[in-house]
Amino acid sequence: MTATGSPDPGDPARREPGPGAGADLAAQIGLVARGDAAAFDAVYEQIAAPVFGIVRRVIRDPAQSEEVTQDVLLEVWRRASSFDSRRGSAMAWVMTMAHRRAVDRVRSVQKESDREWRGAKADIPYDEVLEAVESGLERERVRRCLSSLTELQRESVTLAYYRGYTYGQVASLLGVPAGTVKTRMRDALIRLRDCLGVG
Amino acid sequence: MKLSRGEGRRAHRDAHTLAGAYAMDAISGRDRATFERHLAGCEECVREIASLREATARLGSATAVTPPARLKERVLAAAAVTRQRPPETAGAEPAAHAGYLGAAARRGAWLRAPAWRRLRLRPRLVLATAAVAAVTAVAAGGTAVVFGLANGSMRQQLDRAQAGSQQIAAVLTARDARMMTGPVAGGGTVTIVMSHSRRALVFTARGLRPLPASRGYELWLVGPGGDRPAGMLPGVSHGMTGPVIASGLHRGDRLALTDEPATGSKRPTAPMMLDVPL
Repeated sequence: MTATGSPDPGDPARREPGPGAGADLAAQIGLVARGDAAAFDAVYEQIAAPVFGIVRRVIRDPAQSEEVTQDVLLEVWRRASSFDSRRGSAMAWVMTMAHRRAVDRVRSVQKESDREWRGAKADIPYDEVLEAVESGLERERVRRCLSSLTELQRESVTLAYYRGYTYGQVASLLGVPAGTVKTRMRDALIRLRDCLGVG
Repeated sequence: MKLSRGEGRRAHRDAHTLAGAYAMDAISGRDRATFERHLAGCEECVREIASLREATARLGSATAVTPPARLKERVLAAAAVTRQRPPETAGAEPAAHAGYLGAAARRGAWLRAPAWRRLRLRPRLVLATAAVAAVTAVAAGGTAVVFGLANGSMRQQLDRAQAGSQQIAAVLTARDARMMTGPVAGGGTVTIVMSHSRRALVFTARGLRPLPASRGYELWLVGPGGDRPAGMLPGVSHGMTGPVIASGLHRGDRLALTDEPATGSKRPTAPMMLDVPL
């Protein structure tokens, strides 16, 4: 199966985390903080695909995505001791780091061609952003929840989260006041959070 | 700047609406800094951001794609030579010590064996592309923590790393590169990546016993081609030594390590603390 292939029908939800997966990941990150290389190996298995997925989604360039993914995973090793399960799930901690890194990378490149995004067309088929999903159930749930948003909410979230745009850039792309985009983003995430049953 | 009560409340509300953009990193650097100052005094916002990030994490996980297998080798190899940040404790120094490999050596998958252990690296998947990245980062003056370069003699080590980095990269990426790791008599653990095709090896060590300034560790290649010095090790930085490169490897050579005068010796004058068949 190639990296961009669809989920293997014969292997349903292979990557769907079990009920205890989140707690396991948190516990393993605790071991990593103590320098446990075997635990880091196990952590890698759980987080590499989601991290690579979002980094690639934002950055697009495969070589750069690999590089940033490597940085992020190494950062998990380095900063494991700063993970605090009282402040959120382990996966949220990891993905926050991954997304931030990816966005920072894109922005540092963007500075040089600052005008480019202004010309970009605002078509964001959100199916496309979910094309390469390995976890069928997870994708379905996210897709369903994204569909429950208003169009402006969904576009704001998709452009910001999957494309790495600032709310100012999103506003400009969609031709909507920045203040509106700001509030739509917050409303959208609150709705998504409730729909996904997290947080 | 002092805000009136009304202004303060408005600022709070404005900042609050930024929560969604902030949780998605959809704000510019300046807005981010402003909002983070606001966060420092707004526990409710911190909680909200945390809960929104549970949602964004799911948006992210939904795009999961298994990365190429080589990435894992690179990441694990890089972790093995990367110091971990110590836990934050109230009033503690941003600790420089961090016994990063200590625990890994005791528990780690690679370093578990008490004796020397060879790991055959799959061609082209050399663990060491990670280390190459690390070395390159060092050369670029970037990741100063990699290879333990985070102290006063950093400049010096950086220059050294820079000079050797290309050679090191060549060894680490060689098709026949092999990693070995094992203990040093007198304390410490050594990791070697060796390539016969490059006739060179990259040496790193951790936890070597500190020596007085008048003494230094010297590497030797010992074998049918004669015994020859393979270089003095640089100073220990937070328990980490190297990477250094030793070239001119011959079949049948062994790698040895002795404690010599700081200026180096022509021949080993002290007992071997390490004697590894290559």
